[in-house]
Amino acid sequence: MGNKQTVFTPEQLDAYQDCTFFTRKEILKLFYRFQDLAPQLVPFDYTGKPDVKLPYEVICGMPELKDNPFRERIAQVFSQDGDGNMTLDDFLDMFSVMSEMAPRDLKAYYAFKIYDFNNDDYICPLDLEKTVTKLTRGELTPEEVGLVCEKVINEADVDNDGKLSLDDFQNMILHAPDFLRLCASTMKNAVDTDKNSTVCPQRILQSISTFHIRI
Amino acid sequence: MEAGGASGGQWVPRGPGPGPSLPALLSQLPSSATVRYRGPGIPPWGAPEPCLEQSGQGHQARGKAAPATSPEEPPESQALRELPWPMEAKRYLWKRQGDRPTKQVVGMRGSKGALLLGRAWAPLAGIPKMLEPWRTTLMKIGGQYGAGTESYFRLLRFLLGLNILGALFQGALTLLPLFLLGPLPQPPSPGVSQPCGSYDPRPGGLVDYPTLLTNLLSGEGHLEWSPLFYGFYPVQLRGGTFQLPLAYLLSTFVSGLLCLLLILRRSVSGLKQTLLSESGALTSYSHRIFSAWDFRLQGAGPAELRRRALRYELQVELEEAAARKSAEARSRGQWAALWGARTLLNLLMLALLGAAFYGIYWATDPDGRLQNDPVVQEVPILKLLVAYLPSIFMSGANLILPPVLGLLTGLEGYTRSRQVQLILLRWTVFLRLASLVVLLGSLWKQITCGGNPEAEACATCGYAYRELPCWETRLGQEMYKLLLFDLLTCLAVPLLVQFPRKLLGSMCGGPLGRLLGTLEFQVPDEVLGLVYGQTLVWVGGFYCPLLALLNTAKFLLLFYLKRFTLFTFFSPASRTFRASTANFFFPLVLLLGLALSAVPVLYGIFVIPPSKLCGPFQGQVNIWASIPNAIQGLSQGVRDFLFSLGTLSFAVPLMLASSILMVYTLTLASSYGRLVSTLKGHIKMESESKVLLAKRIVELGGKNHDLH
Repeated sequence: MGNKQTVFTPEQLDAYQDCTFFTRKEILKLFYRFQDLAPQLVPFDYTGKPDVKLPYEVICGMPELKDNPFRERIAQVFSQDGDGNMTLDDFLDMFSVMSEMAPRDLKAYYAFKIYDFNNDDYICPLDLEKTVTKLTRGELTPEEVGLVCEKVINEADVDNDGKLSLDDFQNMILHAPDFLRLCASTMKNAVDTDKNSTVCPQRILQSISTFHIRI
Repeated sequence: MEAGGASGGQWVPRGPGPGPSLPALLSQLPSSATVRYRGPGIPPWGAPEPCLEQSGQGHQARGKAAPATSPEEPPESQALRELPWPMEAKRYLWKRQGDRPTKQVVGMRGSKGALLLGRAWAPLAGIPKMLEPWRTTLMKIGGQYGAGTESYFRLLRFLLGLNILGALFQGALTLLPLFLLGPLPQPPSPGVSQPCGSYDPRPGGLVDYPTLLTNLLSGEGHLEWSPLFYGFYPVQLRGGTFQLPLAYLLSTFVSGLLCLLLILRRSVSGLKQTLLSESGALTSYSHRIFSAWDFRLQGAGPAELRRRALRYELQVELEEAAARKSAEARSRGQWAALWGARTLLNLLMLALLGAAFYGIYWATDPDGRLQNDPVVQEVPILKLLVAYLPSIFMSGANLILPPVLGLLTGLEGYTRSRQVQLILLRWTVFLRLASLVVLLGSLWKQITCGGNPEAEACATCGYAYRELPCWETRLGQEMYKLLLFDLLTCLAVPLLVQFPRKLLGSMCGGPLGRLLGTLEFQVPDEVLGLVYGQTLVWVGGFYCPLLALLNTAKFLLLFYLKRFTLFTFFSPASRTFRASTANFFFPLVLLLGLALSAVPVLYGIFVIPPSKLCGPFQGQVNIWASIPNAIQGLSQGVRDFLFSLGTLSFAVPLMLASSILMVYTLTLASSYGRLVSTLKGHIKMESESKVLLAKRIVELGGKNHDLH
C-alpha cells in the first residue's frame, strides 16, 4: 500500500479511512468502480474535490444493485438530495454501510430509511404495501398484500400508533432469532454467484441477516 | 430526505423537542442496551459521551443531522464511521478532531483481522457443503417448483445414501468373503433324490433369446443360481474361520438398525428445525418481510428464485390463516354438512380400496389355476404375463387410485398441508404398502401350506418342498420382479402418460388444452412411490442380497429421470405445503415402511424352516438357530450374560423402565409447553406496561418543561 496513487490527497484518504469501514486499497478499488460506471464524467483526480454526481440510472445499473427491488430506494437514501444522484462520498457511504464490517444497528437504521418510502420517519401501512409489492412483484392479490401488512403492523408495533417507528423496527429486526440467519445464510451461500463473498457466521450474527453487499 | 442544508458544514441540528421523546426514552432501556452491545471492551453504539447526550439521541431520532454545536468531547474515531451521518458531516467532525492522533482502536483492528481470517477460513468451511451432491440442482428445483417438490428430491437423495450404505454392508459381509475365500458353490446334483425333494436350478445349456429375456426379467434360469439370490450362498467357506451364515444374518440386522437410526435422526432434526422456524412466536410476518430480500443476490436467476420462494412462504401462511378464519366462521349446520360429506367420501374411498385389494389377491393366483392352465403353459409371453400379474394389478391400482383419492380428499376442505398428510397417511400408504402385504400373504400361504404344518405337502420338511424346493430364492425372485416392474413403470409413465398429455395440451387450445397440458408434480404420490420401493428392498434384502445395489442404480436413474421430466413437462406448483410436513412426516412414513418390512423378514427368520437344499442355513431348525450355535462357542460368562438377555427377567424390567421414561418425557414436554405460553403472556404484559410507563414519563416531562 504505497503512496503512489494520485487520485486523492493523503489527507482525503485518511478521512475516508476513518469515516468508512474500508482500508486504503478498498477505497481505491471503490473509486475505480465508481469511475467505471461513467468514465467520461468522473475525473481521475479527486484532489480538487470535484463535484461529480452520477445519475441514478447509472448507479442502479450496477450488477450488485441491478436485480434488487429496492435499488431506487437505496440510491435515494444514500444520495445527498434524496433524488438518487450520488457523488463519490455517497457511493463510499453506501458501500460502507452495506459492508460486512458495519454493525447491525447501523444497518438497521438505514434499512428503516430504505423501507420508509415517504420519508416521514415512520413505516406506515402504505410503505409496507409498497415493500410487499416490490418483494413479490405483484404475484399476491391486493387482499393478501393488505392482510400481510396488517399482520406485520400488529406484530411489530409496540407503541400502538398504527405504524412502525425506528424503535419498533430495530427491536423487531435485531431480535430475530439467530438460527433464522444461519438458515438464511446457507441459502444465501448457495445462491451466491460471486465465489468470494461467503461470510463467516460470526459476522452474519453481527449484521442484519440479509442487508449487505460486497464489492 | 431532509437535507440539512447546503454543503459547507452548517447543519441545523434537529434535536429532540421539549423533554425526552418517546423513542429516545425507550432506547435507554436495558433491553435496547443489550441490542447495542457489540462485545467486551467496545462501547456500545450510540453510547453517548456525557455531553453529547442530546445529539447522541438526536441522531437516532431524526434524520442524518449532525450536531454542529458544542462537542467538547467529539466521539472517538471508532464511533465516527458508525455514525449514520453523510460523509460530509463525518469529514467535518473528523477535521474538528484536528491533530488528535487517530488511534486505531485495537478492537476495530482486531475485529478486522478476525474478518480477514474468517474470509480465508470460509472456503474451507464450505467444503463439506460442496461434497453434498446435487446441491445446486435441489436449490434450483426448490426455487422454481416450491419446497414440496424439493423435499421429494431430498428424500430421494437420502434414500440413495441409505441404499449405498446397505449395499456396502451386505457386500462387504457376504459377497466379499465368498469371492475371496470360499469356492464358488455348485448347484446340487439333479439325480439325487432326498427326503425333501430335489432342487435343480441349473440352467439348461443354450437357451433361445426370448427365454433369456424372460429369465432376466423374472430372475430364473442363469440368474437363479447367482449371488443375486439366497440359494447361492454356501454353508461353509474354505478355511472354516469365517462363518458365512452368521455374517449373512448379522449384516441384515446391522443394516436394518443403521437405517432405523438414520431415519430417526433425519426425522428428529427436521422436527426441531421446523418447530422453531414455523412456530408463530419466533418467526412472523415481519421477519419474513424485512429479512426477505438478500441484498447480496446478483443476477436475474437467483433473484427470481428468491422471489418465488418468498411468495410460496407467504402463500402457505396466508392460506392457513384463511382456513383458520373460515373454520371459526362456520355455523353448526355447516359443520354437520362438512362432516357428513367427509364420512361419505371416506366410505367411498374404503370401497375403492377394498375392490383394489380383492383384485390384487385374485391376481396372486392363490390356487394356481391360471398358472397351471395348459394354454398359459404353452405360450411363454402368457406365462410371463401371469407371473407378473400381481405386479401389474398393483401398479395399475397405484396409478389410478391415488389421483382419485387425492381429488376426493381435496373435497374435504382441509388446508393443503393437512391434505398432504391425510392423503399420505390414510389412503395411499394403505394402498401401496398393504398391496405388498397381500402379495406376501399369498406367498406365505404357498410356502407354509396356509400355516398348517400338518398339511400333507408340508409335513415332511416343514415347507411346501415339492413346489418350492428353495422357497427363499422364490421370495427373492418375487421381490426382484416387483423392483424391476416398478422401474419399468417409472420409465413408462413419462413416456406414455405425461408426454402425450403435454402434446395434446399444446395441440388443443383453450381451457381444455390448458387443463390437459398443465402437469403439476404430485408430491405425496411420488413420495409414496419412493417409500414403496424402499420397503420392497427392505423386505427382499434378506433373500436377495444384491437388491440394495440394484435399488441404488434404480434410484440414481430415477433421480435424473424425474429431474428431466420435471423441467420438461411440469409447471410450477400453484399451491405448496409447509416444510414441516416434508421434514418430519416423510421420514415418518419411511419408518412405517421399515416397521412393516421387519415383520415378514423376522417371521421368515424365526418361524419358517429354511430350505434343506440351498442357502447358508441348510439343515438348521430355523434361520435364527445359527446365532445360539455361535454363542455356544463363546466363553461361559458371556454365554450366560447373552442368554439372560433373552429371558423375561430382563425384558420385563426393561419394558417397565422404558414406559416410565416415556411417561416422564411426555409430562416434561407438556409442562414446558404450558410454561412457554405463560411466559408469552408475561412478555406481552411487560411490554405493554413498559410503553405505558414511558408515555407517562414523556407526558410528565412535557408538563415539567411547560411549567418552567
